[in-house]
Amino acid sequence: MTGPGTDEIVVDRLTKQYKKLRAVDDLSFRVRSGRVTGFLGPNGAGKTTTLRMLLGLVTPTAGTATFGSQRYTELSDPVRKVGAVLEASSAHRGRTGRNHLRMICRASGLPDKRADEVLELVGLTPAAGRKFKGYSLGMKQRLGIAAAMLGDPQVLILDEPANGLDPEGIRWMRDLLKSLASNGRTVLVSSHLLGEMQLLADDVVIVAAGKLITQGPVDEVLGGMTGGVQVRVRTPQAEALTAALSELNASVTATQDGALLVHGAEAAAVGHAAFAAGVELHELATERGDLEQVFLQLTAGKAGIR
Amino acid sequence: MSLVNAELFKVRTTSLWWIMGIILVPLYAASVLANWAQASAGQPPSDAGVSDTQTAQIEAALQPINVATNLYTSGQYFGVLVVLLLSAIIVTSEFFHLTATTTFLTTPRRESVILAKFAAAAVIGVLVWLFTTVLNLLVVPLIMNNLDLGSQLGEAAVWRAIGLNLLAFVLWAILGVGAGVLIRSQIAATLILAITYVVGTSAIGLIFFLLSEYVAEWINNLQVLVPTTASQLMISGTDLPGSPPRWVGAVVMIGYAVVLGFFGTWLTKRRDIS
Ligand SMILES: Nc1ncnc2c1ncn2[C@@H]1O[C@H](COP(=O)(O)OP(=O)(O)O)[C@@H](O)[C@H]1O
Ligand SMILES: [Mg+2]
Repeated sequence: MTGPGTDEIVVDRLTKQYKKLRAVDDLSFRVRSGRVTGFLGPNGAGKTTTLRMLLGLVTPTAGTATFGSQRYTELSDPVRKVGAVLEASSAHRGRTGRNHLRMICRASGLPDKRADEVLELVGLTPAAGRKFKGYSLGMKQRLGIAAAMLGDPQVLILDEPANGLDPEGIRWMRDLLKSLASNGRTVLVSSHLLGEMQLLADDVVIVAAGKLITQGPVDEVLGGMTGGVQVRVRTPQAEALTAALSELNASVTATQDGALLVHGAEAAAVGHAAFAAGVELHELATERGDLEQVFLQLTAGKAGIR
Repeated sequence: MSLVNAELFKVRTTSLWWIMGIILVPLYAASVLANWAQASAGQPPSDAGVSDTQTAQIEAALQPINVATNLYTSGQYFGVLVVLLLSAIIVTSEFFHLTATTTFLTTPRRESVILAKFAAAAVIGVLVWLFTTVLNLLVVPLIMNNLDLGSQLGEAAVWRAIGLNLLAFVLWAILGVGAGVLIRSQIAATLILAITYVVGTSAIGLIFFLLSEYVAEWINNLQVLVPTTASQLMISGTDLPGSPPRWVGAVVMIGYAVVLGFFGTWLTKRRDIS
């Protein structure tokens, strides 16, 4: 059997100890290709530190973070394999956006014209000749994405890319990342904003206080939790339905407005039980719990800024 | 090679290089005038209260060949200062402007980046040397004729001084990169380097003078360990009386460049970039 390819991110027992603080604590997870993976956690959870270790900028105290089995520093042509957007302001204030990209081209043996191509891709062509200090935060983020795309890499890593983007910019980035993933690329996006991830991510890795809380496909992480998937029903015969559903081991709670919320049974099962018991239904709907709620539950007591 | 190209591209695409150039031009002109004035001032009267060694030094310095080497290396003092600061800023600006992340993502083998910076700084050193030397070769023959000393361009010693001047520019450039790695703060690095370079020689000279007067005479010989003194010794056209041989200065300078180079690379490799 061959090991994972360099398009799979493998974090294995990764630990970073700063003087007093364990920023990342025995963290293990994998990120697959062809999907957008959300790397979620409250501020100070250790997301940035993990990504910087993955990219060879920070040395781990223990453990490894690799692309397949190769460290970033061992990749023969890193710019063509991995693109990363870390902080929005990592360009020289006095240099133009185009020259910032050309500088990367020169250092990595890419032709200068790649700079203009990625500027076009991120919609920054009109500002290409302007100095970085005149860029808005959203333009800085776009330039960062442009830099990451220079080598047309198989793996993309973005640290809090939604910061500073307006709603239109966020939608643009969501579409871009989704299309990149659907082309078979690996996309890892960190965020402390959960609502956005729910629309973007296929998988999530949730961390708090440097430790892994849970990981898996968004549906599973949501569905496996109370406050996850639930079925809302309305009926004039609430007692009869509750009795029928209790045989399915589903729990039923009444809401203020007279509806019933069913946990532990799917809509089809609820509908069938009602039909079998001769209960009249006025409403039957599946509701998704939102990631925000799940996240708060999962990280309760561990969240907060460290 | 592409990395050196990228480093030079970084320097070209910000305004720093031409600001430094604008500063350098008047300072270069002032240096030529000062050297000219010194050469035409002539010898002090014999009862001026100077020591024998000093008289001997002044006499030696006024020999045509020494006047020539001095004039043909005009601009060295400020040129080297500019190269030193530019070289340090090549490193410190990566941290000042947070571009280190981009740089080390593009080239994760950090020793290659630092080596490229050393090479780029050396190229800048050569360019500034070329700039001052071409101007000197145009202007100085006129001054030499004015002093009735002839151009002296047939003398091997003059060309050797010009070559050693180049060596000084390159070694100071390497020193600057090493210092930039050690002192990562842009403001601290430029201030410390400029102050040490400008007042360092005289301040440290005074310390050495006091030590040799009140502690032990031999301490004075250690003055050559001060980079500015070593550099001065290395490029001075002929061996002046009372100084260690010229090659000692070169050895000291190369020693500093090598030590700072290795230590700087080692340090950069192990530091976290965050
Ligand atoms: N260089 C450092 N030295 C000391 N502590 C650090 C350093 N970098 C990060 N930390 C700490 O490590 C923790 C995790 O930080 P970070 O990885 O930036 O979290 P996140 O990106 O999830 O918000 C924080 O408490 C932060 O203060
Ligand atoms: Mg962060």
